[in-house]
Amino acid sequence: MPESMLKIPEAFTPDAVSKLDAEARGLLKRGEDVHLDGSGLTRLDSLGQAFLAALHADAEHQGKRLVVHGLQSEARERLKTIPDTLAEEKPPEPPPSLFESTGAGAYTLLREWRDIALLLSESLYYSTFGRRKSKTVLRGDTVTQMIRLGSTALPIVLLLSSLIGFTLALQSGLQLSKYGAAIFLADGIGISMITEIGPLMTAVILAGRSGSAITAELATMTVQEEVAALQSMAINPLQFLVLPRFWALTVTQPLLTIASALSGIVAGLLVGLLFFDLSVAAFMNQVQQAVRLEYIWQMLVKSVTFAWLIVLIASVKGLAVRGGADAVGRATTACVVTCIFSIVLFDALFSFIFYL
Amino acid sequence: MPMTTDRNTRTQEQAEDVPLRVRGLVAGYGTRKILDGVDVEVPREEIRVILGGSGSGKSTFLRNVMGLEQPWAGSVELFGKPVDWSQGRPPDDSYKRIGVLFQAGALISSLTVEQNVALPLRIHNPGLSDALLRELAWIKLKQVRMEEAGDKMPGELSGGMRKRAGLARALATDPELLFCDEPSAGLDPVTSRSLDDLLLELRETLGITMVVITHELDSIKALADKVTYLSQGKIIFEGTLDEAAHGPQEVQDFLDRTPPDGDGKDEGVMAFNLED
Ligand SMILES: Nc1ncnc2c1ncn2[C@@H]1O[C@H](COP(=O)(O)OP(=O)(O)OP(=O)(O)O)[C@@H](O)[C@H]1O
Ligand SMILES: [Mg+2]
Repeated sequence: MPESMLKIPEAFTPDAVSKLDAEARGLLKRGEDVHLDGSGLTRLDSLGQAFLAALHADAEHQGKRLVVHGLQSEARERLKTIPDTLAEEKPPEPPPSLFESTGAGAYTLLREWRDIALLLSESLYYSTFGRRKSKTVLRGDTVTQMIRLGSTALPIVLLLSSLIGFTLALQSGLQLSKYGAAIFLADGIGISMITEIGPLMTAVILAGRSGSAITAELATMTVQEEVAALQSMAINPLQFLVLPRFWALTVTQPLLTIASALSGIVAGLLVGLLFFDLSVAAFMNQVQQAVRLEYIWQMLVKSVTFAWLIVLIASVKGLAVRGGADAVGRATTACVVTCIFSIVLFDALFSFIFYL
Repeated sequence: MPMTTDRNTRTQEQAEDVPLRVRGLVAGYGTRKILDGVDVEVPREEIRVILGGSGSGKSTFLRNVMGLEQPWAGSVELFGKPVDWSQGRPPDDSYKRIGVLFQAGALISSLTVEQNVALPLRIHNPGLSDALLRELAWIKLKQVRMEEAGDKMPGELSGGMRKRAGLARALATDPELLFCDEPSAGLDPVTSRSLDDLLLELRETLGITMVVITHELDSIKALADKVTYLSQGKIIFEGTLDEAAHGPQEVQDFLDRTPPDGDGKDEGVMAFNLED
């Protein structure tokens, strides 16, 4: 009998296993055989089996021996049920090269934008020329979605827009009043709220609020085979799921954007009244002169574009999900990030188109 | 759109005698091949039971056959018409005459059970009144002994109840071809038996053709006209239960109550060095 024998405790408690494991591996590392004294062991449970199996495989791997001494017959029988599977461990796949992963990323991106374009064309088709084809939408669903995705966002849109309008008016007012031109803060607020901040603010809020809701819902439905079930009932998921949301946001987002711009302007007016002694009439007059009709059109074009970006990105992300709950979470995050990124990108494009 | 079809021509009628014809189906997920060349023909009014171990690709077979997943190769014909994937997904009307019970029920989670059952009819027949749809949903729910749960949301149901509601929904459109993925798994013996009886009765009265996946021996015995056994992506047996008794060993083991020792794959045990 070898002198350094590790004693297996009476039962394989987690604590005992960790301790024994460390000691045994220490022996292996020093290049020694491992001898275990199992005479005291009464019950060989699953944890014990796993411990012995892993140790055995390791020892064999390093060309050493694991010897178990004095096992009682019952434990001996249990030992015979350990399958010999650990040996065939596969080497981990090498991570893709930079070249590969860049290519794969670009490919996914391109495919996603192709899907978004397809979805847009189909949505428009089913809303116009394709209307006469048998439509598979629930009556009243668009209204439900308008309330869920649009109206309920009104308070937060109003609150944030007026806060931003307030800050903006105060900042610009302070600078302008140095030149005695505080009245021009009405120009600044009016134009920027209508052409930039209103559409952008609303879009960002709706991307976080409605976009994520759409992705999470559609992704969950996909994962739970509900989308497949719709198809099996000859119900087009695009019509049933995407169209109501598409129209809900197409209608509500411009309205919310108008509300946002108005609340920003009202906040600016308050600032003018409170801090810069402007009169209501002068302020409103100034705003009217500054804001041209085309700005309103720009606002509407922007807000509808952003609405479509949000709905389409969210739907594509949601319907493309494969897997389980973790995939739903990832898709939702990806949706919000992609939405905000594309909104800002398109906003920059619009500036390019409108002002150059 | 009415569910009945015009069967004037002789050839059409012949084709319709085989509601489901699958040829050389190859399918999988990602790069992993699950089915490798499967041929199945199910004639009218037959109940075909698909057998196979867990993970052998039975649900995958159904998903591909129903056009929910695009096969890698091979063709699927429903009622004599090939499922056309050229648009990237099959045309909606290929589903009009089939009903599907998914393994987990797949009820639409934002609708009540009753609305779920009435959904396909409501969508395809906007003219029907709500009262009529309610009545119809109630009848279907009663058939699966679920009439008391009509107002519940799917999230509030047990697994077995979800499945029964799913069946009620699949039956609501009076399909000519019914796919069932494990109709009786997770049900108590009484409900399970009544479900089998219901399926048999539907076949008698309406002549529905069925493709059923099930593991329950009793259900197999009660339902199957013929069984198709999937193993490792291929069909290793097709025939009646009597024939199966003399079929491949794996099929016999499957249909035998007492499973063979081990799990089929003899893996060997770890050889420990023991000393007394
Ligand atoms: N969405 C998926 N993505 C990737 N692999 C999948 C997917 N669904 C199933 N598989 C794999 O395909 C194989 C066959 O699965 P399938 O669901 O068809 O089995 P099954 O025969 O229906 O089993 P069960 O009797 O347990 O329902 C399994 O090995 C499974 O891991
Ligand atoms: Mg399955």
